[in-house]
Amino acid sequence: MSKLNIKNLIKSFPSMDRPAVNNVNLDIQSGELVAFLGPSGCGKTTILKMITGLFQPDNGDIILDEQSLLKTPTEKRGVVMVFQNYLLFPYMNVNENVGFALKMKGVDKNIIEEKVKEMLELVKLPDIGLRKPKQLSGGQQQRVALARALISNPRILLLDEPLSNLDAHLRDEMRDLIVTIQQKLKVTTIFVTHDQEEAVLLADKIALIFDGELQNFTSPKNYYEKPKNTKAAKFFGGVNFINAKKINNDLVTDIGTVNYKGENYIDLNEDNIITIRPENIKLSKNNDFKDNSFKGLIKSVIFSGTHTRYKVIVKSLELECSLQSVGLQDINEDDDIYVHLPSDKIWAMNE
Amino acid sequence: MGGERLKIILSLTPPLLIIFTLFFGGIFYGFLQSLGYQPAIGKYEINFSAYYNVMFSERYAKLFWTGLGLNLWVSFASTFLAAVFALFGALAIRKTFFAKTICNFIYSLNLPMPHLVVAVGIIFVFSQSGLLARLASQIGLIGSPGDFPVLVKDKYGLGIILAYIWKEAAFFFIILMSVLQSLGENFEELAQSLGANRWQRFRYVILPLVMPNLFSASIIVFAFSFGAYEVPALLGVIYPQMLPVMAFEFFLNPDLNARSEGMALSIIIAIIVMILVVFYFWLTQAKIRKD
Repeated sequence: MSKLNIKNLIKSFPSMDRPAVNNVNLDIQSGELVAFLGPSGCGKTTILKMITGLFQPDNGDIILDEQSLLKTPTEKRGVVMVFQNYLLFPYMNVNENVGFALKMKGVDKNIIEEKVKEMLELVKLPDIGLRKPKQLSGGQQQRVALARALISNPRILLLDEPLSNLDAHLRDEMRDLIVTIQQKLKVTTIFVTHDQEEAVLLADKIALIFDGELQNFTSPKNYYEKPKNTKAAKFFGGVNFINAKKINNDLVTDIGTVNYKGENYIDLNEDNIITIRPENIKLSKNNDFKDNSFKGLIKSVIFSGTHTRYKVIVKSLELECSLQSVGLQDINEDDDIYVHLPSDKIWAMNE
Repeated sequence: MGGERLKIILSLTPPLLIIFTLFFGGIFYGFLQSLGYQPAIGKYEINFSAYYNVMFSERYAKLFWTGLGLNLWVSFASTFLAAVFALFGALAIRKTFFAKTICNFIYSLNLPMPHLVVAVGIIFVFSQSGLLARLASQIGLIGSPGDFPVLVKDKYGLGIILAYIWKEAAFFFIILMSVLQSLGENFEELAQSLGANRWQRFRYVILPLVMPNLFSASIIVFAFSFGAYEVPALLGVIYPQMLPVMAFEFFLNPDLNARSEGMALSIIIAIIVMILVVFYFWLTQAKIRKD
């Protein structure tokens, strides 16, 4: 179990007009499972490679258990990376692949054999030791790569897009396996992904990165309920954004004054944006709500199985609302409607 | 379906006919001559006496076996050293900006250069009257150019080996650069993160990954240097003599009866090379079956 601190990390490449990683700060606690989330080319893998020592940062520091890693060569950091395309050595069988790290350390053959067996059992592949990588399915190769990474008991485990090459069924299986193993071994783990669903399902915390800059580092739940900015909110499926001015103790928006209960009220600037998730908006033909209720007009109704999505126009602003289809009122296009934004579900942001 | 097959056979027939006539026709006629069949000088009987003569007769046996030894030594040493130089060269520069430029330069300059020109270059540089000997003498490393070690026209075939290294290292280099660039650095980075130091990454990652291509190229280079004539003819000594030079001298002998010995030697060289090629295919197939 190791604690990792990333301080003011900067990395540029000559071919790029902006830094690939720009002033990233992160504190990752022992045993945490953290996701680096962001679109392709945003700098996630570059940070991973700096943690392993494969890239040297231009500036900043990487501190593992209170000691800077910058002068420690990759092979001595105890930071093991599982690559996106598994990279099993094609000329070695599974046993040899899994035992590679221990062989490099000069560990006794019999101990390697025992540990390999233990690791293959851990990834639920006890009987494939003598097979060559090309005799394995994608899912099996991924498990073997994971076993190979774990055998040396790494201080930090890095997974680069661990599920991206697997089909949907194998993804679920592998996701469960990663969580189970991570919880069992308590190894501090960072994985890179561009899939927000994957990040939410796996991670304790998500570091959202855009254009080399860390946007937010918090729990998956907070990304949905309390995003730091509109970029983060949009990446997690946020669609409703309303300009709001902080006047005295109220938030005055384009659709009217909003009663706001967010704990960040004192930190808000004069100009803000409020957001609310479509599933938290309530609709009613009668004005059944005490506050934050605004009159609107149904623009469209889209039935999508368990939920029905509505687009509502409120004072020329379009809001999207998603209600459970079961027990729904009869609401149709062009109906007049009251839209309720529950004050405890609204979140205001400075940018 | 049948028409399609016929079309393929008909289109392939002309080139195959030329290849079969020239290649197998030549080999067959050479083989007949090696068996003593030379109608031009009235010899029609067929026997293995030419083979016996070159390998076991008192006159030629010593020449043949020392020649064969020299052939094996030169081919093995030049192939091995060219491969080693090329491997370390490719590893040293593959990550640099100049790698591609150097690769293109070697490809465009060294590969099309005839072996004969390289052999002459070796004489100019490495002989006792060559550039290095004069330079060493000028800066006082040796008393006179004549004190320079005999590297060309020596009994160990050092000049021949140097020429082959010069020429074939470029061939190995091109192959290795393309393999290394297609492999990328991910395997090494992975091994490094798993705790492998520089030597271990070379021994357990790079070498096994490039070995199949290196081995295939080595077979080609070995077979070529084993059967080539011009470099040993220019840079070799009268004794011991490499087998292709010996074969050609038999062939040029005014006594036409000696042609059978020359052809027998050529066929022996061809058989040894073929054994190598068959061995290589057997190894490859065995590896495929094992995998």
